[in-house]
Amino acid sequence: MTLLLLLGIPLAGAALLTRMDGGAARATHGLTAGGTLAAAAAVAAAVTRDGSVTALDGLLRADALSAWMAGLVGLVATLAAIEAPRQVPLAEARRFYPLLHLFTFTMLLALTTDDVGLMWVAVEGTTLASVFLVNFERSRSSLEASYKYLLICSVGVALAFAGTILVYFADMQQFGDEPHALRWTTLLRLAPGLPASVIELAFVFLLVGYGTKAGLAPMHTWLPDAHSEAPAPVSALMSGVLLSVGLYAVLRFKAVADLAAGPDFASRLLVALGLASLGVAAAFLWAPRNFKRMLAYSSVEHVGVVCLGLGFGGPLGVAGAVLHIANHALAKSVLFLLSGRIRAAYGTAEIPAVSGLLAAMPLTGRGFLIAMLALVGLPPFGLFVSEVMIFAAGFQGGHVAASVLGLALLVVAFSGLLRATHRMLYGPAPAGARETAHWPSALPLAAALLLLVVTGLAWPPGLAAALERIASLLAP
Amino acid sequence: MTAVTNLLAFLGLVVTLLIVWRQSWPGRLRLFIAQSLLLALLACVIGVLAGKPGLLVVAGVVVLLKAWLIPRALARIAVGTPVRSVAPGHSSAVPVLVAGALVVVAYVVMLPVNAATTLPTEGGIPLTFAMALIGLFVCVSGRDALGHLLGFLMFENGIFGLALLATYGLPGLVEAGVFLDVLAIVLLMEGVLLRVRREHDSIEVNRLGELRG
Repeated sequence: MTLLLLLGIPLAGAALLTRMDGGAARATHGLTAGGTLAAAAAVAAAVTRDGSVTALDGLLRADALSAWMAGLVGLVATLAAIEAPRQVPLAEARRFYPLLHLFTFTMLLALTTDDVGLMWVAVEGTTLASVFLVNFERSRSSLEASYKYLLICSVGVALAFAGTILVYFADMQQFGDEPHALRWTTLLRLAPGLPASVIELAFVFLLVGYGTKAGLAPMHTWLPDAHSEAPAPVSALMSGVLLSVGLYAVLRFKAVADLAAGPDFASRLLVALGLASLGVAAAFLWAPRNFKRMLAYSSVEHVGVVCLGLGFGGPLGVAGAVLHIANHALAKSVLFLLSGRIRAAYGTAEIPAVSGLLAAMPLTGRGFLIAMLALVGLPPFGLFVSEVMIFAAGFQGGHVAASVLGLALLVVAFSGLLRATHRMLYGPAPAGARETAHWPSALPLAAALLLLVVTGLAWPPGLAAALERIASLLAP
Repeated sequence: MTAVTNLLAFLGLVVTLLIVWRQSWPGRLRLFIAQSLLLALLACVIGVLAGKPGLLVVAGVVVLLKAWLIPRALARIAVGTPVRSVAPGHSSAVPVLVAGALVVVAYVVMLPVNAATTLPTEGGIPLTFAMALIGLFVCVSGRDALGHLLGFLMFENGIFGLALLATYGLPGLVEAGVFLDVLAIVLLMEGVLLRVRREHDSIEVNRLGELRG
């Protein structure tokens, strides 16, 4: 029942919002976002109590991993929803809010269905729902970004479809007409008997396909454009959680591939793609020119870090990767939302044109600084802890060269990000730029940063248990 | 059954190679319709011979969608573009050679799949996968948005053929979702490209060059 609510609320909200304008639209928007978050919390509570919840005869199913990810989507969607009215003129509500909630719905569907075929449909749906959000500002560059986004992600995800077919094929060859053969729980049960060579081939397709959606290099080319051209709340959702939905799909199939073909196969691929992503991101972040693109490339970097964690494997690596997904989602969505305010105040997203941020916009500037320090992985924020977990797993697992290379690339990205931030924060402020936000608008963002301190300093009771449970699902 | 499905898969590949070879847009579009109709026929044959009546419905949807609705949308997108987008003197020899090489690649990649099965339809599996690979190639080497989109649709057709031969189709819910996705992609693409044309007076995507680095 809670699962149906989790999916029904954003879907119904999106449907209602197509016929609403003005104040009614804002109120419905707020109620939908709040309801989605509450439903996600209810699902998380039910999963903590019972281990998993199902609906519609098992078609929908949430276990610890689904609940963790759905909770994140709920959190980031709420942050984005609170910021949205600042970015979206009331007259444009009908072009924005329905798609925003439809986008949230497709992500939640991908996370809470047990059927990997339906998951594929939902992941493709995330692209379809967000194309016109990327093009919301209707500029030439955002048009180009949405074209690239639609084409590259559709092709990528079609590759994942080929992989899904191969998994289904292996399943049918081995076990005949098994009912619900495309359910993940069925696949996991049958995995040890599936032909290793077919599953390996399928996993390559799935990794490249869903990896495109996750923004893994070298399939990341759509990402900086789409993230930088979309309005800030959409960028926050894309960077914070959409990429992780792609990783989530990879994770589900990695569990199957590990059982069918042994863990080394998927591991090697994930470490290689993780390092490639870190390399591409570090090369760009050394001297970024546009702060929204900088944040987008930093997402490629962090997706790479998560991939390394999954590739290093073991309970520590997987737990670190899953925690890192959450930490990155919080830090990056705060940064993207603030970058929307900065762009509105300065009228540009070019780094050389932005200076004196701390003087001109004290609230936004301070928030940007704190969130950036969290993002680059300084203590006391959670990203420090999850990165330590991931690289500790790497050294323990004997991936010394990959760990050292990964750390070196992180340092490059770190210095580039801090230099760019320094340039934006200090110096003379141009006359036109000033803060239009008041302190209450900073509260939700401050809450997100506070959560990052919690995952960094003092784990609340239950967090360790939740991570352990997720790791045992994926790395038994 | 083996003879019929092999023949249809082979004809599908021939049509795919012809699309690579043809340079006039209406010709390519007609060949794409032919490719889709062949796949619909393949679905019918497998549906009848393997006793899967659901595939007959699938075949009907393929005809409706890929031989009628989508080609019509493509024709709307193509209004006003020159019939031949390629400058004179350009030949299609190199693309056809690449496509030929991709057929070999498809056989090699699909070796583990063919080794794992004794399905009567297994002979066509590498052929449909080659159709998908060639579609991907047409997509990434396309000079304009029409080329990209046509390549994507060929790619999708190839994967659909692979699903027919390897698993006799997919569960109904997934199949329906896939068809909806493809239709939505084409219609969204139409929306995006109409805006591109309004902005740039052309759908040559090479002219889109604002985003760098």
